[in-house]
Amino acid sequence: MSTTEDRSDAVTDAGLPASSPARTPARTGGSSPAPRSRRRSIRAAAPLWQWRTVDLLTTAFLGAAFGVAYWAWGLAYAAPATGLEAVFPPLQGVTGAPWLVAGVIGGLVIRRPGAALGCEVVAALVSMLPGTKWGTATLVSGVLQGLGAELAFLLLGYAVFGVGAALLAGALAAPLEAVYEWGTYWTDWGMGYKLAYGAILTVSGAVVAGGLGWLLTRGLARAGALNAFPPGQEVREQRAV
Amino acid sequence: MLAGLDLDLPPGQRVLLVGPSGSGKSTLLRGLAGLLEVADSGERAGRVLVDGADPCARAGTVGLVLQEPGAGVVSATVGRDVAFGLENIGLPPDQMPPRVAAALAAVRLTMPQDTPTHALSGGEQQRLALAGALALEPSLLLLDEPTAMLDPENAASVRASVEELATSRRLSTVVVEHHLGPWLPFADRLVVLDAGGRLVADGPPQDVLAAQGDALLAQGIWVPGYEDPRPGAIPPGLFTAGRLGANVVALDAADVTVTRRVPRLDGSTSTTVAVQSQWLQARTGQVHALVGPSGSGKSTLMLALAGLLDTDDGTVRAHPHLLAGHRDGSRNPRDWDTVELATSLAWVPQWASSTLVAHTVLDEVMTTSRALGLVESEARERAHRLLVVLGLDHLQQVDPRHLSGGEQRRLAMASAVVHQPAVLLADEATVGLDRLTWAAVMGLVEGLRDADVAVVLTTHDEAVIARADRATALTRPSQPPARAVHRRPLVARCGPLSLLAASALAIPAGVVSPHWQASLALLALQMLLALLGLAAPGRGPAPRGRVRAVAARMVPGLLGGGSVAWSTWLLGGHQVSLAATGCLRVLVIVFPSAVLVQYVDADALGDHLAQLVHLPARPVVALAAALQRVHTFGDVWAEIGRARRVRGVGATARSPRSVLAQLSALTVGMLVRSLQAAAALAVAMDARGFATAQRRTWAAPARWRAADTVLLLAALCPLVLAWQWSAWPWRPWR
Repeated sequence: MSTTEDRSDAVTDAGLPASSPARTPARTGGSSPAPRSRRRSIRAAAPLWQWRTVDLLTTAFLGAAFGVAYWAWGLAYAAPATGLEAVFPPLQGVTGAPWLVAGVIGGLVIRRPGAALGCEVVAALVSMLPGTKWGTATLVSGVLQGLGAELAFLLLGYAVFGVGAALLAGALAAPLEAVYEWGTYWTDWGMGYKLAYGAILTVSGAVVAGGLGWLLTRGLARAGALNAFPPGQEVREQRAV
Repeated sequence: MLAGLDLDLPPGQRVLLVGPSGSGKSTLLRGLAGLLEVADSGERAGRVLVDGADPCARAGTVGLVLQEPGAGVVSATVGRDVAFGLENIGLPPDQMPPRVAAALAAVRLTMPQDTPTHALSGGEQQRLALAGALALEPSLLLLDEPTAMLDPENAASVRASVEELATSRRLSTVVVEHHLGPWLPFADRLVVLDAGGRLVADGPPQDVLAAQGDALLAQGIWVPGYEDPRPGAIPPGLFTAGRLGANVVALDAADVTVTRRVPRLDGSTSTTVAVQSQWLQARTGQVHALVGPSGSGKSTLMLALAGLLDTDDGTVRAHPHLLAGHRDGSRNPRDWDTVELATSLAWVPQWASSTLVAHTVLDEVMTTSRALGLVESEARERAHRLLVVLGLDHLQQVDPRHLSGGEQRRLAMASAVVHQPAVLLADEATVGLDRLTWAAVMGLVEGLRDADVAVVLTTHDEAVIARADRATALTRPSQPPARAVHRRPLVARCGPLSLLAASALAIPAGVVSPHWQASLALLALQMLLALLGLAAPGRGPAPRGRVRAVAARMVPGLLGGGSVAWSTWLLGGHQVSLAATGCLRVLVIVFPSAVLVQYVDADALGDHLAQLVHLPARPVVALAAALQRVHTFGDVWAEIGRARRVRGVGATARSPRSVLAQLSALTVGMLVRSLQAAAALAVAMDARGFATAQRRTWAAPARWRAADTVLLLAALCPLVLAWQWSAWPWRPWR
């Protein structure tokens, strides 16, 4: 069931009104101009702001699944964080990076405005409800982290979703969160430590959330779990070549 | 997938659609429902008209019931789920109750409308899906193997409901099935597709069966009037005689009791008895069938036998020769490590996809042999021969996640037994299989039995029970009486939004608090308010564990505060006051959350966000649907972990690498399952008009109550105190 742009252009949509939002494209996933070069990402079906049901549900379900994982990491991270703290306190930023991954993956999979923010916020909400160390502050962090990742995809015009975009999204998920943490958790640190923490969180955000997030998205697409989305279509087209 | 298919359905006609797996039956159903673009990929040509119009012109024209029970459940309660379609078409809420009640009555669901949807049996969930479709008054009903995953009792209840509806409302109905017998009295037309998705027969069922019966049988379809298939033969020498010999008790469960604790999103748990005082002996060279209605604990008993679950009472013991050098000689498989377990025991769960651990079929079959350190060339030879027997040898290099359901089931069985463990435990090994896969799986089961393996199968399948050497019937355990209704604390009267807002107000309070004395005063005020909020005036028994719950939720916060204090003390020249300031600030921020967040009703959150904050309706509904499924993610997590443990690749404390591999497999597995769930639910929701639901109504009103205002005002007090601290005239400590 491989699709190429040329063939799908030839498909007529006879008798089916093209107006209902979930059904405008004759094929799902993407509908951008033909991705001739291997490097080009496939965009979400236009118009970008018109979310299909499966886009909404996948954002929410991915977020919920990450929320469960976030909650578990909230219990497990303390040991490595304490170890890093003993070496150099701002190094704790490394253990904060896994909490940035939902936004990156939401953006990479759905490729619509708001997906990164939505996915990260749902993950934060779900991890907060059973009780975390940070209480409702978890949700505030989720919003700030999601906004950062969203900003990366916005800067790229929701058109580029390669590994570079993932690294950028992972990196930008960090700064707002770091500044917020300066004011809540690291109030007694000097500016040097605060900046070091921000830099470490940003770099590890790029590597852990961006890099691993990109690998995870590719893995999910290869597992056939993203058939309704552009990453799934990219895998199919690679196979078809 | 499908090519050049023309079908005309007169009103009221009942069509049975059959074809081999992969012939595009499900695709055709989605096409008829106008839902091909929801979560599929590919190309489409042609058109579908219902009553002369596009099926999407009116929401709910076509009602759809999916194969997996519960896959289309949107809401947390029964009544709300039926109302989902009505909300989508914007029906005023006051007109909903009669239509919901009528739809539930039509499918004979008589439980209270606030019954949780996850508490329903599979058959009840399928009837709930019918009711949800019915509320929108469809003119065509599509059922995609609606009874394939149900036990006979539940399957009969679903068929009875479909029959009644089709008769009383003259609904055109299309049922996809590969078990023809039970549906034949219902159908008045039988349509047969071939493997290429082309129409090969179409007519009255008896005529088609007379002409095509043998051809259907060859496709693997269960045709009434023919004998059950004969289990496939296993070539001699594939399995060798077992080391225990025949008729020896390999695994012995005595007086086993298992209770299940289901965690809820609010942190509380509900406890049920899954297995009550059960005895079972699995003997080598015998197939032992475990039968009983759903909910009788067959699968749970199987997990206890396999050492994959803690038992609350009783003992599970393996034959001493199966210990394989266990250090302290425990005979309970629960105490064995992953390699010891894999050597002696195989367990195949009902959902074969969760047991997949490798990226090619060959690696999948070789996984356990490699984990046990068997000689690669011999193991590979056996794997090849087994794949040939099961008709999977041409797929050796294929990613197992891309196989069909039937292929995955055969692969799961092959991977579990290729190293010939002494005991095979298989959960519903034949449910939903076509005749060909059935014969392959049962052939393997009987081949193992003949090689002195002790086989235990949970099953509802009469043909399997007839071939078993022994059968044990389980009954549903009696449940402990439900706890009395307790008085509710005052904060429980608040809605989710005010609870979240009140706990969030602690963040600025903590941030502006200037030093530890101020934070201490804030914390004292917060605790006083918490005591007031947790008070539960009124009649009836007092709620228990309020303080304990808050304390449990504060433990991580206390650790966090302690860590901040420690780090500040180290950095800040060992000043205790600085350390105390950092620590208390964290406690001020998190304490209100520890009190309040547990009372957030996740099911009501969507209603409140949409009606009170006026967030866009469709994203809010998606969020609510995801929240009410969160508890299932934990089950997926547990099942993947069990599958890895019994396959010999579980995490062990000795190997950090195995822990990492396990974590990554669990994460990916949980994501894949949640993506599949989202795709299936998207189809079900769009079939009930969600795609076009821009202006929804809401069956349950969300109101901002006086209690919400009181809570917010109370939560503002600590913030004001923190803000005004420096301006206050009295500071006794200065």
